[in-house]
Amino acid sequence: MTTTLEHTAAVATEGGGLARKQNFLTALVGGVVFAWLAWYLAHHFLDASSRNYSDLVTTALTFGWIFGFWLGIGALNGPGRWLIGADHTRADDLYYAGENQGRKRYWKYCTDHKVVGVQYIVMTAVLLGAGGILAMAIRTELIVPGNHFVNQQVYNGFVAVHGMLMILALIVAVAGPWANFVVPIMCGARDMAFPRLNALSLWTLVGAAALLLSVLAVGSLTMGWVVLAPIADQAGVGMDFFAMAIIVFTVSTTVAGINTICTVMTMRTKGMSLARLPIFVWASMIAAALGLYAFPYFSLVEAQTLMDRTVSTSFFVANGGGTGWLQANLFWLMGHPEVYVILLPAVGALFEIASVMARKPVFSYRTAIAGMTGLAGLSILVWAHHMFTTGWAPTLGGPFMLTTELISIPTGLFFLVIIGTIWRGNIWMKLPTVWLFGFIFNFIIAGITGIYLSDIPIDNQFHGTVFVTAHFHYVFVGSVLFGAIAALAFWYPKVTGRFLDETMGRISFWLVFLGVQVTFLAMFVSGFKGMPRRYSSYSMIFEHANFVTTIGAYMIMSGMLVLLGAVVRSWNHGEPSGPNPWHANSLEWMVPTPPPLENFDVLPVITEDPYNYREELVRS
Amino acid sequence: MSIDTHVEHDANGHGGHDGGHHEPPEVVDGRQRMAIWLFISGDAITLSALLFTYLYLRGVNTGGHWMSMVGYPTVGPNGHSYAWYEAALNGSAGLPNPQVVMQAPLSAGLNWLVSILTLVSGLVVWAAEKGLRATKNAKTFSSLAWVATALVVVTMFFTLKQLHSIPAIFVAINDSQTMSYTAYASTMMVIIGSGLVHLAILAFLGVGLAIRSARGAITGDKWFQARLVRLFWVWVGISGIIASAVTTTINTIH
Repeated sequence: MTTTLEHTAAVATEGGGLARKQNFLTALVGGVVFAWLAWYLAHHFLDASSRNYSDLVTTALTFGWIFGFWLGIGALNGPGRWLIGADHTRADDLYYAGENQGRKRYWKYCTDHKVVGVQYIVMTAVLLGAGGILAMAIRTELIVPGNHFVNQQVYNGFVAVHGMLMILALIVAVAGPWANFVVPIMCGARDMAFPRLNALSLWTLVGAAALLLSVLAVGSLTMGWVVLAPIADQAGVGMDFFAMAIIVFTVSTTVAGINTICTVMTMRTKGMSLARLPIFVWASMIAAALGLYAFPYFSLVEAQTLMDRTVSTSFFVANGGGTGWLQANLFWLMGHPEVYVILLPAVGALFEIASVMARKPVFSYRTAIAGMTGLAGLSILVWAHHMFTTGWAPTLGGPFMLTTELISIPTGLFFLVIIGTIWRGNIWMKLPTVWLFGFIFNFIIAGITGIYLSDIPIDNQFHGTVFVTAHFHYVFVGSVLFGAIAALAFWYPKVTGRFLDETMGRISFWLVFLGVQVTFLAMFVSGFKGMPRRYSSYSMIFEHANFVTTIGAYMIMSGMLVLLGAVVRSWNHGEPSGPNPWHANSLEWMVPTPPPLENFDVLPVITEDPYNYREELVRS
Repeated sequence: MSIDTHVEHDANGHGGHDGGHHEPPEVVDGRQRMAIWLFISGDAITLSALLFTYLYLRGVNTGGHWMSMVGYPTVGPNGHSYAWYEAALNGSAGLPNPQVVMQAPLSAGLNWLVSILTLVSGLVVWAAEKGLRATKNAKTFSSLAWVATALVVVTMFFTLKQLHSIPAIFVAINDSQTMSYTAYASTMMVIIGSGLVHLAILAFLGVGLAIRSARGAITGDKWFQARLVRLFWVWVGISGIIASAVTTTINTIH
């Protein structure tokens, strides 16, 4: 077995024409050219005196961008060839799978699920980096009262784009890299069910992210990441970029969700029954199904916002019979399930890590699945708790309070499963385990503060304050990000053949862990005192807590930079890990490192579950 | 996990890219069928969200403006569209005061015509697929695929007519007149627009089926893709019927 990172040498591939020259650069060129073309045509042929002129031109430009980007990267080659009946040959499939293309395949529309997984790792890092820079800008502005560095409009834009960038980053942080890299191997499959759709989901996300990042350059947003209507109808053209980014992003998540479910349900090898599936595979599949349910609402509400802005419809305009509550309902019909689309893969990865690092089976495997399924089911029945204070349907407050509080039951099952798994285990205190313990600590705080906010009387007091901000940052940063980093530390050796640097990883852990406590506990204090969210300045009574929060934020940033350094350094210089450094039993650890194209020379036949640790495998 | 990689030498022929790992068509078909059903499920959620929008806005009837708006009708004093708009461009001094403009529902006949035509085109594809499987005659299949595509193109024409018939109202915003749409007109626009996008996809698929069968990529033995397309096609027809049933029976406020 190969035990270190190897890249096959780049070999010139003959034939294939222009399609084989397509890569990220041609995608950028295609995107820019078609965006310019669309802008030019719209600019010349649309009525410049129209109230919606600038929005129409901007929307045309964003259409042009995404079409050109797809054309340039090669996403339209498959449909085009299907249309004319010229299906891909075996040589084409191998070419698109990146055979013999070395590192160049990472810049292409590559269909190999492991390449897509690595591309997702990079994409997640880029999104987290951009969102993180904005977070630091926000915290720097808030270190003392008053406006110092940016004006209110720019600040509002930072808040909105930071929020949505981080949401997108965390949606893909675990599901993107690992549902792609390890899930097919865990199932005993040679690739995802639809390799070309897999590449499509990744590159569509890249196109959407570019649109989202462009928001800051074209006038920004002023209404927060939920882009509340009817303010969204009145915002600058940044809103058009934002709405199109979300619509395009929904294409990406839909395609990825269908692909994940089909892979798990139809590509499992012989003997890999549903009861023998690694728990991370279950988590990925449930999250994918939940995403399929949730994201159409997101797409529709942004399409409606775009229509209000470009063709003067009245979805959210009271004069024409519309209402902002429609936007709020549709947004939160997506918004709360989305939290669990983000959380479930991270929790699934942590179940996996807990089992491997404690040398024990996942405690009550079926309870874990029931918990995840229950959470997914309940999450579609709680959306109105985001609107308790708006006055929308007050009579429904009680039922929605109840469903929200019920969420604590499946969430409690997660703690039961993790604690039960590590209880009296032979715990191997390596880097993934350290982040696992950080998750447990933070997720308790996230969960308990969530119960407070689910109660209408308390929510009436805390709604709109930074208490809420602190709560969901404990969920997203303290829990999901910790899970994502634990997953990275756990599966990094399978990607690279090397361990993630343990020392740097631990330094990173303590900086981020302590930073989270300093930042968000201080933010709870500000929230208790009533400090409102999204304000660029504040009263002197919040000064000390905000100062502490900003110091904590800088600690988190330092920790993340150390982690980035560890990832980069370890990629080529880390300690070699061998193919199965954790002595785990699931299939991804049974294949060489890095896994070859198509993963298995001969498909395995499974005869027992992945958590049956035998004596000879137990760490000495 | 106990595994055995030698007992079964890829007896199922599982595989993806590599020449040595061909998959039987029925395995690929099963996978693709699941994907189509998942896609249809996502599309059904989109349809439910569209109808939720429609019914919600009708239900709340904000300010009584579900089908009315304060402004000027699109047919102005000179009897043609844009008259008010042109008048406004020349200065609003001569304009009468804006009034509540009431709208009538869109033509139910046209709505049903579009839905039924879409469903019929789906049934043609279904018949074509059944015929292909029974008679192995790809030529007839190709011809029927063209017929279904032609029906879709005709339906697209009527859909565009529907879109064109959605009434606009000129309203005063920031001292200038502009065209706007009531909540009813807005929701109809997004539902009809969504239908148009679906029809465009069907036209693409129909042309693909016809060309592919003519070139031998779809034959009496390789009919799986025809079934996949048919599933989606028929769903689009059914979704159109559902949308028509809702929007033609529940529209005015009594």
